[in-house]
Amino acid sequence: MTELALSPDFAPGLLAESAAARVTLIAPVARFSLRCKPASRATLARVLDLPLPETIGHRAHARSREALRLGPDEWVLTALEGDAAGIAADCAAAYDAAPHSLVELSDREVTFAIDGPGACDLLSLSLPRDLDGIGVGQGRRTVFDGQGVVLWRDEAHSFRMDVWRSFAPHVASLLATGCRELALEM
Amino acid sequence: MNPYRVYGKGRIDHRAPVSFTFDGKTYEGRRGDTVASALLANGVHLMGRSFKYHRPRGPVSAGSEEPNALIGTKRGTGRYEPNTRATVQEIYPGLKTNSQNTYPSLKFDLGAVNDAAYMLFSAGFYYKTFMWPKSFWDKVYEPFIREAAGLGRSPTERDPDHYASRYHHTDVLVVGTGPAGIAAALSAARTGLRVTLVDENAEAGGTLLSEPQAVIDGAPAWDWLEAQLAELKALGVRVMTRTTAIGYYHQNMVALCEKLTDHLDAPDPDMPRERMWRVRAGQVILAQGALEKPLVFDGNDRPGVMLAGAAQTYLHRYGVLVGKRAVVATSHDSAWYASFDLHDEGCEIAAIVDTRADLRADLVEAAAARGIEMHLNHSVSGTDGRLRVKSIRINRMRDGKAAFGRRIFCDCVLMSGGWTPSLHLFSHTMGKLAWNDDLTAFLPDVKTEACQIAGAGRGLWGIEAALNDGFAMGAAAAEALGKSGATPTLGVTHDRTGTGVTQIELPTDRSPSSARAFVDYQNDVTAKDLRLAVREGMRSIEHVKRYTTNGMATDQGKMSNINGLNIAADALGKPQPQVGLTTFRPPYTPTTFGAFAGYHKGGHFEVTRKTPIDGWAEKNGAVYEPVSLWRRAWYFPQNGEDMDQAVARECRATRESLGIFDASTLGKIEVVGPDAVEFMNRMYTNPWTKLAPGRARYGLLLGDDGFIRDDGVIGRMSQDRFHVTTTTGGAARVLNMMEDYLQTEWGDLQVWLTSTTEQWATIALNGPNARKLLEPLTEGLDLSDEAFPHMSVAECTIAGLPARLFRISFTGELGFEVNVPARHGRALWETLMDAGAQYDICPYGTETMHVLRAEKGYIIVGQDTDGTVTPYDAGIGWAVGKAKPDFVGKRGLARPDLVAPGRKQLVGLLTEDHSKLEEGAQIVRDPKEAVPMTMVGHVTSSYDSVAMGRPIALALLAGGHDLMGEIVHIPMPDRIIAAKVTGTVFYDPDNTRLKL
Repeated sequence: MTELALSPDFAPGLLAESAAARVTLIAPVARFSLRCKPASRATLARVLDLPLPETIGHRAHARSREALRLGPDEWVLTALEGDAAGIAADCAAAYDAAPHSLVELSDREVTFAIDGPGACDLLSLSLPRDLDGIGVGQGRRTVFDGQGVVLWRDEAHSFRMDVWRSFAPHVASLLATGCRELALEM
Repeated sequence: MNPYRVYGKGRIDHRAPVSFTFDGKTYEGRRGDTVASALLANGVHLMGRSFKYHRPRGPVSAGSEEPNALIGTKRGTGRYEPNTRATVQEIYPGLKTNSQNTYPSLKFDLGAVNDAAYMLFSAGFYYKTFMWPKSFWDKVYEPFIREAAGLGRSPTERDPDHYASRYHHTDVLVVGTGPAGIAAALSAARTGLRVTLVDENAEAGGTLLSEPQAVIDGAPAWDWLEAQLAELKALGVRVMTRTTAIGYYHQNMVALCEKLTDHLDAPDPDMPRERMWRVRAGQVILAQGALEKPLVFDGNDRPGVMLAGAAQTYLHRYGVLVGKRAVVATSHDSAWYASFDLHDEGCEIAAIVDTRADLRADLVEAAAARGIEMHLNHSVSGTDGRLRVKSIRINRMRDGKAAFGRRIFCDCVLMSGGWTPSLHLFSHTMGKLAWNDDLTAFLPDVKTEACQIAGAGRGLWGIEAALNDGFAMGAAAAEALGKSGATPTLGVTHDRTGTGVTQIELPTDRSPSSARAFVDYQNDVTAKDLRLAVREGMRSIEHVKRYTTNGMATDQGKMSNINGLNIAADALGKPQPQVGLTTFRPPYTPTTFGAFAGYHKGGHFEVTRKTPIDGWAEKNGAVYEPVSLWRRAWYFPQNGEDMDQAVARECRATRESLGIFDASTLGKIEVVGPDAVEFMNRMYTNPWTKLAPGRARYGLLLGDDGFIRDDGVIGRMSQDRFHVTTTTGGAARVLNMMEDYLQTEWGDLQVWLTSTTEQWATIALNGPNARKLLEPLTEGLDLSDEAFPHMSVAECTIAGLPARLFRISFTGELGFEVNVPARHGRALWETLMDAGAQYDICPYGTETMHVLRAEKGYIIVGQDTDGTVTPYDAGIGWAVGKAKPDFVGKRGLARPDLVAPGRKQLVGLLTEDHSKLEEGAQIVRDPKEAVPMTMVGHVTSSYDSVAMGRPIALALLAGGHDLMGEIVHIPMPDRIIAAKVTGTVFYDPDNTRLKL
C-alpha cells in the first residue's frame, strides 16, 4: 500500500496504490461547460469539429477534443491545455448563429484517475449509482461521498473522476482509505 | 472438557479448543461456538441479571432475538461493547466477556432487592412515581431515572475501530438463508439475474442447520445445503454471512450491516470492524422465517428455561445439551421433536407437558416408545431454583382451570408457545398486515415495495413447504424483472410439519397477581403488568406498550410483542386486529453507531473546503472560522496578539495604507446567453439593461415573499455575459434558486448558468495604496479613476496571469478584487505580498472585513437580515428597480405586512457609555417597564471600531428609521445599557475614500 498526501497545489501524481486499486491525480486539461438549445447543437459541433452526443452520458471525441453529454442542454468539453483559446474562438465565431454559453472550468475541478481490479469496488464506497449501467466509453454526472462529480468510464476497471477543487482532498482521503481497506480483504 | 458437549455433533470444530473468559473465569469452548453455546457446554446458564428486578437470567434463545443473555465484550482498549448478545457473539482466543447489571457479583447481586419489592415496580411505575412534588424533578427523579436507564455500561474510551460502507446493486436481494431463501436465490440466479443472498448468522443454512434429519431431494439436509451453496457460488450469487438486513427503505433500498472482525482471533487493526451496505435491489425476497414464542407462566425466566427450538439448535449446531434432565412445556408440536432429539443424545426427558388435550398419534407413540412421561391438557404454574431452574410445577386442567400442582425435578425447561412469522423488514416498508386466526398471527398482506415473502415468514410450516415456496418466489421475482425460469418442486422426507395452539398466560392454581410470568424478558414486563395497563385505561396496543414498556427494549419485542398483544386483547375482550400491532422500526437488531457513521469521523467527518490561498494563511498563523463548509482565515495574530488587538491592527493598516484579503469563497455564477440581461432583470431587484459592459453593480436578490435572500456585486463582462457574485454561504442556494426559475418558469429564455466559484481565486485589495500596488503589475488596463472608476470590471493581465479585475469595495476604501484561475491564486497572493511590502501590506481576515463593512453600514445577509427583512427595512430600497415590470419578490414587497408601519428596520446604535453591545441582545424602549418588557428589536452587529474610536453597532429596531437620535435601552444581566439610534453609515458617509 502506497499512500501520498494530496499536495495543496494539486501536483499531479500517484496518491494511493494497493493490490485493489490505484488513485492518481492527473495533469489538468482545458475544460469547458457548453450549454445550448437543441437547434444550436449541430452548428456548434461543426465549428468545434467535434460531435456533440445526443444521448445523456455518451461521449464523442475528435483529435484531442472530447465531449460528454451531461444533461438535456449540457456538455462538458475537454481538450489539451493549449487548445483552450481555440475552443473559445471556435464557439465565439458561431455565437450569433448558434447562441450558447461557453464557460471555462479548467481550474474549477481536478481529476483523479482510478484504476485496478478493485476500481469498481472502490467507487462503490460512496457512489450511489449502479456502475453496471455505465458503459465503457461513457460518463455521468453523479455524486461521490456527497460531492457532485463527473465520472468517466474509460475501461472496465479504469475511471476518471472530476471533483471540485475544494472537495478534492476529502474525496482523495476516502479513495485512499478505500484502496487500503479493499486490499486487506483481497 | 465440556461436560455438556455431545462429541461428534454440531457444526463446531471439536478438535479446536478456544479459551475465553466470562466474569474473569476462563472457559473452554470450540471453534464455531458462540459465547452462549460455549458457556452452556460448560453447564453455565446464568449469564446476567434482568434490567428492572435484577433477576438471574440465562439464554432463552439461540439467535439474534435473545433478550436475556446480554453481556459486555472486550477486546483491548476502547473495544468494549455492552449488551452484546451472547447467542450471537462468536468466541475467539482471548475474548473477554462479562455479565451486566450485577453488583457486587452475578451470583450475589444487591440490586435483586428490587425483585422482592416488585409490587412497587408495576406498570406505569415511572409515570406514577415521578410526578410530584415538582421540585424533586431536577435533583432527585431525573438523576435517578438517568442512573437506572439502559442496561450495561456505556464505553468511555474512543472507539479505535474503522467502519466501512458500500453501495451495492443487485437484481434480487434475498434475506435469509434457510430453505426458502436458498431456494429463492437459486431460482432467481438460474435465470441469469444478479442475486445477493444475506444472513445474519455466521453460517448459511438457517433452519437446515438445526434439522439435519431432513432429507431433501434424496440427500441429507446438510449435504443438500453444501451442494446448493456450491451451485449459488457457481452462478455468481453473492452470499454474505454475518450480515444483517437492518432496515428496508423506500424503493427497495435495504441497509445491511456486515460484521467483519468481531469473530476473528487477531484482526488486522486496519480492517474495518463492520460495513454498512446500502443495497438497491430490483426485487427483494424476504425469507426471514419465524421466531418461536415463549410460554407465559410464573418463573418462565429462570436460567435453564429456554425455547425448545433453541435447545434443538444448541444440540445440532453446537453439539451442546442444555441440560441432563429436561421438562418440555409446549403448545406446539415442534417441541416434541426437540424432545426426541435431546432424548436420543442422552438428555433425560422427565416429562412433556402439553396444554393441548389431543395430540397427533405419531408424536404420542414416538414419545411412548422412548419411555417419555406425557402430561396432556396440563398447565405450568411455576418453577423453582435460585440461579438455575431446579423444578417445575405442573397442573392438570379441568374446565379451563388449573388443578392443584405437582413438582417435577429438572435442570432445564424447554418451552414452546408456537411460532411467529418475522415481519420486521416487511413492516419497515409500511406494508399492510392481515390477521390469521388459525395461526394467531399477523401475516404480510398488501405490499408497498417490489418484494416477495417466502416460507415461514408468511406462515408456511415445514422445510418442504418453505423450500418450494422459495423456488416459487424466486421465480416470481425473476418474472417481475422480465426473466422466466423453471420452478422446481422438491420432496422432503423426515420433515417436521406440525401445528399448535396459541396461549395467553397459562392458568394457575395460585394467585395470578403474584405470578411472575414474563412477557418481555429484557424490560421485565409480566402478564400482570399488561392486564394492569388495560385496567388503568390503556386501550390501544401502542398505549399498552408505552405504559408497560413491553417490546420497547433493544430486541424490539421479537418474543414479547405477540404474547403481549394476545394478553392485552384478552384483557380487553377484543380480537387482536382491533387492538393492533406496534410498529417495527429499523434497525432489525441493535447496530453500532460506528456502522452508521461509516467513514465520517475524525478528519473525514465532514468536508472542510479550503481556498487556494489557505496554505499561506495556515503558514502565517491564521486563526480560522467556519463559514458554511469553508474554513476561512478569521484573523492573523502577530506576536501574541489576542483577537481584538489583531483585528484593530488589521483595520488600521487597511484604512491607512493597504490590506489584502482572500475572498475566494465568494459564490460566483456565470450568466451567459442572449437573454442574460433579461434574466438578470427578472431575478434581481436592480435594473440591469442600462449597465454597460465593463461596469458592475450591487445586486439584491429577494425571495417570492419580498425578503432579502442574498446579495453581491455583479459585473457585466460583455453584452451577454454577467459575472455574478453571491455570499459565501449562499452560493449553492442562489444557483439552485436561479435554476429553479429558469427551468420551471422561464424555459423560453436563452440563458445558461454555470457555477464558477472554484474556477477563480479572488483576492481583495483595499486601502488608499491599493492602486499603487496594482498599477505596475497590470497589463492591458488603465487603472486611473477616470478610466476605471469605482464599480468597474475588466479582463486584463496581472502579474502575468489572466485576470478579471473588479474595482469594488466592501470596506469603504479604494478597493479592487482580482480574480485569477484558481491554480494561480497562491502565486498571485505571494506576488502581491512581496510587492506590497513597501506599503506595509496587511493580510486581514473575516473579522476585520466585518468591522470595516459595518463602519460603512454595508449589510451582511444572514447577520443583519434574518429572512424577514425587506430592502426597505435594511435601508437599501435604492437597489429596487421601481420601474421594472417584474422581478422575483416584487409582488411580495407589496403585501400589506411589508408596507405596514412599525416594521423592524436596520439602524445604527451608539452606546451612551461607549461600551460594546452584545450581538443578539434585545432592545426595549422603556427600561422601567415591568418584566416581561416589550422587546422592540435586537442587535445584529457590534464591533469595536478603530476608525471611529468607539464601539458601533447595527440593530433591527421596530420603526427604527423614525427614531433617529432617540435613546433605546439594552437590558443585560448586570445592567441596562442606553444607546442612541443613528444611521447605519458611521465612517466616511460621503464616500470620498472610494473615489481616490
